[in-house]
Amino acid sequence: MQRRKFLLHAGALAGTAALGQMGVFASRAATASDYKALVCLFLYGGNDSNNMVVPVDSAGYANYASVRADLALPQAQLLPLQESGGVLRYGFHPALPGLQGLWTSGNLAVVANVGTLVQPLTQAQYLSNSTQKPATLFSHIDQQHEWQSSISTTSSNTGWGGRLSDQFNSLNANSSVPPMISTGGNNLFVTAAATQALVIPVSGSFGLNGFSSSGADAARRSALVSLLGVDRDADLTSAAQDVMSGALSSSAILNPILTSSTATVAQYFTGLTTNFALQLLAIAKVIEAQSELGAQRQVFLATLGSFDTHTDELNQQQALFAQLDPALSAFNAAMAAIGAGSSVTTFTLSDFSRTFSPNTGGGSDHAWGSHHLVMGGAVHGGQIYGTMPTLTPAGPDDAGTEGRWIPTIAVDQYAATLAAWFGADASTLATVLPNLAAFSPSTLNFV
Amino acid sequence: MRGFSIRVYAGTAVLLLAMAGCGGGGSGGGSGGASIPATPPPPTPSPPTVADTSRFLDQATFGVTAGDVGLVQVIGFQAYLAQQLAATPSQYSGFSYTPHTAPATCQYHPATPTDASSLCSRDQYSLFQVQRQFFTHALSDADQLRQRVAFALSQIFVVSGVEIYEAYGMADYQNMLLNDAFANFRSLLQDVTLSPVMGHYLNMADNDKTNAALGTSPNENYGREVLQLFSIGLYQLNPDGSQMLDGTGAPIPTYDQNVIEGFSSVFTGWTFPPLAGAASQWTNPINYDGTMVAFDSHHEPGTKLLLNGLTLPAGQTSAQDLQMALDDIFNHPNVGPFIGKQLIQHLVTSNPSPAYIARVSAVFADNGSGVRGDMGAVVQAILTDPEARGDAPTTANFGRLREPALFITAMLRSLGGQSDGVLPRNAISAMGQPMFTPQTVFNFYPPSFVLPGTETLAPEFGIENAATALARANFVNTVIMQGGAKPDPTVTGSTGTSIDLTALSAITYPDGLIAQLNQTLMHGSLSSAASAVILAAVNAQSATDPLAAARTASYLMLSSAQYQVER
Repeated sequence: MQRRKFLLHAGALAGTAALGQMGVFASRAATASDYKALVCLFLYGGNDSNNMVVPVDSAGYANYASVRADLALPQAQLLPLQESGGVLRYGFHPALPGLQGLWTSGNLAVVANVGTLVQPLTQAQYLSNSTQKPATLFSHIDQQHEWQSSISTTSSNTGWGGRLSDQFNSLNANSSVPPMISTGGNNLFVTAAATQALVIPVSGSFGLNGFSSSGADAARRSALVSLLGVDRDADLTSAAQDVMSGALSSSAILNPILTSSTATVAQYFTGLTTNFALQLLAIAKVIEAQSELGAQRQVFLATLGSFDTHTDELNQQQALFAQLDPALSAFNAAMAAIGAGSSVTTFTLSDFSRTFSPNTGGGSDHAWGSHHLVMGGAVHGGQIYGTMPTLTPAGPDDAGTEGRWIPTIAVDQYAATLAAWFGADASTLATVLPNLAAFSPSTLNFV
Repeated sequence: MRGFSIRVYAGTAVLLLAMAGCGGGGSGGGSGGASIPATPPPPTPSPPTVADTSRFLDQATFGVTAGDVGLVQVIGFQAYLAQQLAATPSQYSGFSYTPHTAPATCQYHPATPTDASSLCSRDQYSLFQVQRQFFTHALSDADQLRQRVAFALSQIFVVSGVEIYEAYGMADYQNMLLNDAFANFRSLLQDVTLSPVMGHYLNMADNDKTNAALGTSPNENYGREVLQLFSIGLYQLNPDGSQMLDGTGAPIPTYDQNVIEGFSSVFTGWTFPPLAGAASQWTNPINYDGTMVAFDSHHEPGTKLLLNGLTLPAGQTSAQDLQMALDDIFNHPNVGPFIGKQLIQHLVTSNPSPAYIARVSAVFADNGSGVRGDMGAVVQAILTDPEARGDAPTTANFGRLREPALFITAMLRSLGGQSDGVLPRNAISAMGQPMFTPQTVFNFYPPSFVLPGTETLAPEFGIENAATALARANFVNTVIMQGGAKPDPTVTGSTGTSIDLTALSAITYPDGLIAQLNQTLMHGSLSSAASAVILAAVNAQSATDPLAAARTASYLMLSSAQYQVER
């Protein structure tokens, strides 16, 4: 039986609200201005990035439209993405006007054809099976896990967000809450060696109901806490006890922040009511309270689902982007307003992209390499990083005949670029991303 | 401080016996009070112990009741299972076809005087009533094991309210699982495959053959997930559930993209059943009543590469290809361990030993009469296995976190509560398990979820976190401390949700109260340390509030990890 070290347990048993006093992290002074946060947006189901970033030049669009057929977006509706030097090759999906604006203002970059890889892979190598491929391509949960762990040779029990966070524990010595926070439930991306992200609700209060200040209630609460410290010899029982311990400690600190009616960031989310927007609002509130909470390096996760558009793709993706775009725009504006614009970098992950050739049901199927978005004041925006694939089924970038693009940037490189911005040096990168050495260059300069 | 008296305590022992059923058994111990008198010997020569019976019922039902403990004590496990296998399936009722797009008259105005249309969008175009009925059936209906297995199957053969929002459709699908819970797996697989609900959810409905002019090919959604999730999984398995390894020590995939395309081609040419009185055509409008119908002119005509080295010949009909493809899946050696292990995880323990899985796989392969896929026999094997039985688990990783639905039903059943299902269906979303509405076909949590930093499997911990753990405790607060929920005037026959703690509050001796709850809720497994903690809190309650002690002890036990992890 393996025993887990749970950082928050002792604090909860002692009824201590201030976990930072526990001294479980190595102490290291850091200035309040040295704050950085990564915000991961996981787009569940496999976002069809072929319709997120679309060719707008005549020849490129004509080819796109001829293959995509019923899935083709009208050329006139695409939102042009002007690149440096006046180059205009691609446009955004029409439901992404806010992101187009962020591109124009230099706060948003596109990273092209990123995907799970064990090592660089040519089409010839893929087709001849001469070089190791990622395990279980095209499967949702496995490809999600490979994106979240940046390990494609086998299944991993930790995510790269979690491993990265572990490397910065010394900078979070004064943090009163766990350094990783999720609004999208438990997730491998934010699972570290022995801990996982604190999961917070996006509405309602966060805490234990039904306790007054009476002596009787105090005794009942004390007993509830004491029960977390006995019978710890059964694995699942002690795990559930640990979750509750962390919940009691962290909710006491975060509930006033999450339910605050005076947060500066809230005004930027006015009128946004989707769950996804509420997730980003909750994250924005936590970041706004950064100096109170004391963390120097935080990793956040938000999720948006239903990108598995095997049918009715045009309507479904339109509806999802209509949630994504205003929420991301609001979040970026909120970060700028609290002076955290350059301290917070937001980026997308997704299972995979989808087949460029449509299926017979008005949708597309599971594919591989996909384009991703990186947003924030530190981002070197207004550019496409990497090489866009040749949009030809059975062409030079296809793993088969339906337009499953073999990635030309590894998840490891994408992750390393973000981790390096977060403060990871070369040796830390090698620890966090054990397969990074297979790829060159290690980082891509988009942030 | 709370007082107690020996005189009242004598009554406690009687109540304890009554709630534990006939006999009480000899080893239900673990009580907090050393002075509790010995219970009488059991009435039959060698009935199962109270502790083992209670554990069995936690695994086989939606919550241990005194009546069931008494019954099983008298008739034994095998006779109880025989009764349950023969029990008439409960059914979701009161639903009928509605068009996929709600008419404009269909609204939701619960505050104004209600008629059919003013509650239409809630009752017909959301799962509200289906979710509510899940709880009323689970709390009261006699076919407990069938419902437990059907609920487990609903989390393997997943369809979700994210797409299936018509109440009648979800009711149809869940009724199918209830009817098939103990059927042969081959029948179950076919009923799932031809269900128009699954057809809509994973897009086998209206899946057309290749159109060369348009450059389109068959939708791969069902062809992929039927293999990955509903039958064999990604890697070749030994009968004990472990992965087979190749010469380099790597797991061996069960299929590749060519096989996915083969099955995707098989599952073409089917559309929704025609509406009553309407001509059937390619394609029919969405209709969840009945089974899908074939149009061979829309079926992929070529050969199809499947599993086990099988290639289907070109030119067969939709139905011919379907039968051969489902036989091919059914006979793959993975099905027994792949499905068997998940059923063990749903019913008994998150970490079954390889030997346990192998014993269940063997029954899947042959029920003793030469029949493969007998799900009733598989369920019996799971529940009577030596690893499942006994007065207490023998390994530290045994057991499972009660998932929110079972957490809710178990507390209500064991404490004699009642509910119309409204509060449970409302409260369960915050616990991470909106009934029949997982985000994806991968269910609320994967069977492979492990506790961080360990190799311990813990599927239900996929939705256990700070937010959901507090929601569980707050549900206990609502039901135990706040009196539950009042009847909902917009729901016909609504009774609200409540637990009457009067009987427990009659036990004025705190040790006896805790011993009673230990027996009722925890198979007598509560440690003396935990009992002492609860006792201290009970003793701090007002002696003038007759319910305070019972509420305090119940709240603490139900909200504890010791209860929420069923072992």
